[in-house]
Amino acid sequence: MAAGRTRTELGRALADARAAWGSPAWVAVAAIALAAAVPFLSLPWVRVDALAQTVYLAVTATALGLLVGTAGLPSLGAGAFVAVGAFTSALLVAREDWPLEPAALAGALAALAAALVFGGVVRLRPAFVAASTWALAWLVWLGLLAFPSISGGSQGLIVPDRNLLGLDATPTVHFEVALALLVLTALGIAAVRRGAPGLELTALRQAPPLAVSLGVRLGRRRLGAFAASAFVAGLAGGLSVQLAAVADPASYDPFLSFKLLVAVLLGGAAATLGPAAGVAVLGLIALASGPLARALQLPLERFDAAVAAILLVFVLALGGGGIVPWATRRLAHLGWFQRVRPSLQVTDCYKEEERREVPGGLVLHAQGLRKAYGGVVAVDALSLELVPGEAAALVGPNGSGKTTALRLLSGAVAADAGQVVLGDRDVTTATPSERVRLGIARTLQTVTTFPELTALEDVLVGRSVRRRYGGGIRTALATPNARRETAASEGAALEALALVGLRDVADVETQALTTSERRLVALAAALATEPDVLLVDELAAGVGADELERLAEVVARIRSGGIALLLVEHNLRLVRLVSDRVLVLAAGHVVAEGSVEEVAGSDAVRQAYLGAQTL
Amino acid sequence: MLAGLAVLAAGCGKSTGSPPGKIVLAVDVPVTGSPYVAQTIRNGAGLAVDRLNGGGGITVGDRKYKIVVKLYDNHLSARRAVENTRRALSAGAVAIVTDGTGVPATWQLARKDSVPIAITYDGATGLVDPDTRPNVFRIAPTNHAIAFRLAEYTIPKGLKVGLLHDDSAYGQEGAKDVDSAFSANPKSVATRMTLPAVATDLSAQILRARRSGATALLVWGQPSTIAAVLTAARTMGWNVPVFTPPTGADPYIRQRLADHPDWVDGLTFASGRMTAEVGAAPFKAFQSQYEATYGADKVGVTNSKGKQVVQPPEFAMYPYDFVNVLVAALTKAGSVDPHKVLPELNQVTTQGANGDERGFNEHNHEGVVDDDIYFARFHDMTYSPVPDDPLSSTLPTIPQTR
Repeated sequence: MAAGRTRTELGRALADARAAWGSPAWVAVAAIALAAAVPFLSLPWVRVDALAQTVYLAVTATALGLLVGTAGLPSLGAGAFVAVGAFTSALLVAREDWPLEPAALAGALAALAAALVFGGVVRLRPAFVAASTWALAWLVWLGLLAFPSISGGSQGLIVPDRNLLGLDATPTVHFEVALALLVLTALGIAAVRRGAPGLELTALRQAPPLAVSLGVRLGRRRLGAFAASAFVAGLAGGLSVQLAAVADPASYDPFLSFKLLVAVLLGGAAATLGPAAGVAVLGLIALASGPLARALQLPLERFDAAVAAILLVFVLALGGGGIVPWATRRLAHLGWFQRVRPSLQVTDCYKEEERREVPGGLVLHAQGLRKAYGGVVAVDALSLELVPGEAAALVGPNGSGKTTALRLLSGAVAADAGQVVLGDRDVTTATPSERVRLGIARTLQTVTTFPELTALEDVLVGRSVRRRYGGGIRTALATPNARRETAASEGAALEALALVGLRDVADVETQALTTSERRLVALAAALATEPDVLLVDELAAGVGADELERLAEVVARIRSGGIALLLVEHNLRLVRLVSDRVLVLAAGHVVAEGSVEEVAGSDAVRQAYLGAQTL
Repeated sequence: MLAGLAVLAAGCGKSTGSPPGKIVLAVDVPVTGSPYVAQTIRNGAGLAVDRLNGGGGITVGDRKYKIVVKLYDNHLSARRAVENTRRALSAGAVAIVTDGTGVPATWQLARKDSVPIAITYDGATGLVDPDTRPNVFRIAPTNHAIAFRLAEYTIPKGLKVGLLHDDSAYGQEGAKDVDSAFSANPKSVATRMTLPAVATDLSAQILRARRSGATALLVWGQPSTIAAVLTAARTMGWNVPVFTPPTGADPYIRQRLADHPDWVDGLTFASGRMTAEVGAAPFKAFQSQYEATYGADKVGVTNSKGKQVVQPPEFAMYPYDFVNVLVAALTKAGSVDPHKVLPELNQVTTQGANGDERGFNEHNHEGVVDDDIYFARFHDMTYSPVPDDPLSSTLPTIPQTR
């Protein structure tokens, strides 16, 4: 039975691959075949050992591209992980007589462990990520110099000859292995970029608060990318050190990390093969700079570093896009190459997840919530209850604490006092992503969508919180469960878009949509998390009067699914159209609560807020 | 497809062979790490090659060959030495002459093609072992011999020696031999210290050495370290005798201390003797030949009489001698195939540049015997053999001024 299922899944995978196969794939295959043939062409100017080292470097850079490009974390520590992998592998081979393959794998695991130990940096802002990882690069290098008993001193650790995959480890064998590793890494990175992990990393890069509000776990996702990048770097280091035959600290100085980042930015962090292209360009420049350095009687190492620094400034000055994205745009402009987004294929295997039963009738109960910022009380003694399918509105003048109230309910800020209960579960201390998982979703007031994503991709970010098989490894390996779940997620995301009336713009980039459409996309993303409670901030902001009816219909559809809504609104017409109940906040306190008519007739409310306005 | 390519690849990577009528000799030296050493080795090998080629080339089997020297810069980096060795093997080198950088790694690569490696500068223990590294040879004084001779020379004088070494690979290797040499006389050691190779100011360390009661310093390190030690000691008015390995003769020291020539006076170094029992004539002939081809190696300083000081080409002898031994092996083998040449290197002997016999055998790949270590002392920017050592006192002073 298992064999039959495997056959079925393989058949499906082959069918998908055949459907996706096109001229770019043929070009890629031809390029790989040509590259693999290079050592056998006996080209006199080609040094196969140098080529192999370059390809190992490209492997490291490709993995770094995921971290820099997709996750937006400019790591200057990749060289440190290469060094950890290299020296771990070298020590095991030289001193413990290990074969090369397990030694290299041990190097990769050591680099992974180092990444996990140092992984706290992923929560920092990009500038501090760069600074911290740069410090790591120095730390590792200085550590190697300080312990010559480990590193072999200035001349390094000699790595004895070993076979590689049962073959005599000549430079040619290393080149082919490195090329295979590059292809596999690129395929894996491409799959991750396209899949849920890539979407989440992109979302975290573009708008971290919005991504977190949709349940994306910032620390876990970024750490995953950081660790994956380190693992690949360690593996490349563990293999390349055997080719070099010497593990010497001088080859793993902080400049290696700098060069890798330059390669990523030069080639294009946004493109899977951009970093490899960047490494190739740096290699060609090194070939040219050798004779130039000799002519100018400059040490080549310093000259090389100067060239890399100049290139970095050049790339950043031109916008930092990189060679491959530029080339892709030019080719697309010439009609030679079109960026193809995978077509949506919703399979029959999609299975609707059962809605969670909420006991007791109340879906949300908040009691006595308080939040003060220094001496300023933003919210005090806020209590409210929601039942399934109810729509309540929270209104009040600017600065009355409405958004703070939403932030308290969603967990974006910790309450100074009070309690939040979802169903029968106290979620007062739960993090925002945990609350999303438990059923409280929120839209943000100012940042509504992820600018580089399409409407569908935006909603898929929200959907990812419900995925079980959306991890990096499963996505990279395209396991049957991951693929099935991807199709199911796309179906759910399309349903969410349909519910808000935007199914037709699923493939449109969000920055091309109108303001109201973007707010609806944000609503769909929150709906994709399958909430029990939806906290909506300023749904009608920037919306024309003629669109209010449409919004009211959307809210009605959401309510009919049993979801409780709490809307923060300035647009009192929309409040009148959709709300069962209104709470009026003034100076952080609820000054009135009741039906629209009851609140509209209250003198206290009029005094505090409405003034010339009426509900 | 990739697996098939990998199988093909396992059989590839072999050298392309020497060009017809030419024999490639690779010289892998630290051009940008230690220019004086690199120049000495390059010139020594080049001198032998030029002489042979000038005579119409060498005859191997029934064919005439000219020797082509390919120069590689190892930057004093073992990793770079490995890359250069690969390039040399691809170029079809029949032998690799090196200062010694990276030999622990490069010998394995060269061994696959049976290409001999000749060390002509680094005397580190462990580099040469005919049993485990049958393709590694050395014509240079060994650290072991120098360390023991230094101990032999200083201990009877009743000196309390401060053993200093820098943290370069050279310094660390030498320190092991020095420790071994002085291990039987621990009372003669005042202190042991590691000096940072990159530091230019060693005042604190030398002060510590002075306070330890040392009455002499043995400094095993790069020329820059020795210069820094002399500067620190003489600046504080400490005229302690300083003993060094062959790096003490490096011109760099005298260049650094050109403004204080008296600080160099008394510096004593141990090295392989330039002249042999047969007298100074062979070496002087070699020196003339060397200077006619490359000019005298000007140190860049003058003595008290205003004469230019030149450096005798002592270390150039060693690569020169190796080339001659190699040619003898090629001729005996009747082939340029390294697999046939390598065994013959253990069978041939030639007369060295200074008249000494040079050769190897299956059990000994050292071309300079331990007994051939002498001491020389500086005075007025030139050096001469010391009078208070039995071997050194028999050796003539080689003129070093022009």
